[in-house]
Amino acid sequence: MNSNWSREIRAVLRKEAQSELRTKNGLVTAGLFGLCSIITIAVATFNARITGDLAAGLIWVAILFASVIAIPRTFLVEEEQGTADLLRLFARPHAVYWGKALFNAAQTCVLSTLIVALFVLFTNSAVGVPGILVITILGGSFAMAGAVTLAGALVARANNRAVIAGAISVPLLLPVLGMGVGAMRVVFAGQMLGADPNEFLTGFVNSGWMSAVGLSCYAVATMAIGPWIYAAVWKS
Amino acid sequence: MDLRRGVEIVKQIDKLLFALFVAIVTVRSFYIPPAMSFMNPNLAKIFVWHFPCPMIAVSLLVLGAWFGYKHLQTRDLKWDIRSEAANELSYIFSLLTMATGILFSKVQWNAWWQWDPRQTSFLLVLLIYAAYFVLRTAFSDRERRAANSAAFGLAALLPALFLIFVFPRLPQVLSFHPTDSIMKGQIKGEYAIVVTGVMICMTVISVWIYRLRVRAGLMNLESENYDGNQLSDPSGHPTPSGVVRPVRLSSEN
Repeated sequence: MNSNWSREIRAVLRKEAQSELRTKNGLVTAGLFGLCSIITIAVATFNARITGDLAAGLIWVAILFASVIAIPRTFLVEEEQGTADLLRLFARPHAVYWGKALFNAAQTCVLSTLIVALFVLFTNSAVGVPGILVITILGGSFAMAGAVTLAGALVARANNRAVIAGAISVPLLLPVLGMGVGAMRVVFAGQMLGADPNEFLTGFVNSGWMSAVGLSCYAVATMAIGPWIYAAVWKS
Repeated sequence: MDLRRGVEIVKQIDKLLFALFVAIVTVRSFYIPPAMSFMNPNLAKIFVWHFPCPMIAVSLLVLGAWFGYKHLQTRDLKWDIRSEAANELSYIFSLLTMATGILFSKVQWNAWWQWDPRQTSFLLVLLIYAAYFVLRTAFSDRERRAANSAAFGLAALLPALFLIFVFPRLPQVLSFHPTDSIMKGQIKGEYAIVVTGVMICMTVISVWIYRLRVRAGLMNLESENYDGNQLSDPSGHPTPSGVVRPVRLSSEN
């Protein structure tokens, strides 16, 4: 990557970080949503034993909706504040996309870590395979950032854009959810993983690793295709 | 003049022959031997109508994305009309896949819906393409609608292909739905003939509907362009669309 590209991407990334740190609007809103979701889950499952499958589903629902609130904002805010045209003048579309997607990935990573930590804290669950958890959070964050940043860019000039952003982001994230749940159910399998290693357990853990790696591959695909598609609608 | 009349007659004969072919295939599909390996062998004959639907739906889905790509390259609205038509038809065939699949599920597994991965993944594909049509409604500007929906169509192709081809074949996913009927040569004899016949019927009908839909779209585009031309003067500035006359609102004056 030549220095101009990296300078443009870093400039967009720094701009996004500074805007967010100034208002903290996205992180606070999504964080509060995540916190409310986890508290609701904890209250609903009070005294009940949460299985790995259920835990994986609940965590991903919380992460998904918290992220769908926060991520598309990067483009929607530009249009609302009238700064999008300025950005079009000074930066190339690929740089804008990657700068915003990287910022969104970092933001989703923080949110996901927070949500998982709160879930473990409130439901007293045990993390069975930390390696899968780390790869799932990283891969999932990048995959969600790649897809939802693009969705935000597509609806930035639409009527009723905030609602449409959620409506078109969630379907694009269904494969992420599928693989994310597949990986997370192994992470939260809890007591079962403490048992003697046997063929079934090895296969079960391997399926978790496969899902986590699949998630990372999906992240690479969305981050690679995203800028190209974004560039096509950049000045329409 | 005679030549034109001759072409018209040939076209009519073509349509009659095709209608006859559809009738024969439809009747034949009811009289094929029962599928003995299924729980209800007689009702399982719906397979011959279920099988071609997803194939046509997926082909149209890929075609819709390709037309979207062509639109992004050329910015020609005709490609957008073709893309929209292909995606609409694909959606109809996906709905037919779901409908026949649900009946097949009831016949074979004794449940209308039992969260089989293949069944679920097709439902998710339907959701993805529902979002495509939602996105189209969100733009009033035609060019912007075309560009953004083409971009979404391309972006949605990746999760759609993943859900259709990859997800049901993952080793950790257990599905009752067969995934290699063609490759293993399981469709043979009378079934192979009728399935091929149904496939030909559905393909011809889908091409016919697609062409009608595209023609309607192009006529709509032409009429919009004509209205646009009528509303602007030669310098390109819009002119008033009609004469505004003062109207008396009350009879007091």
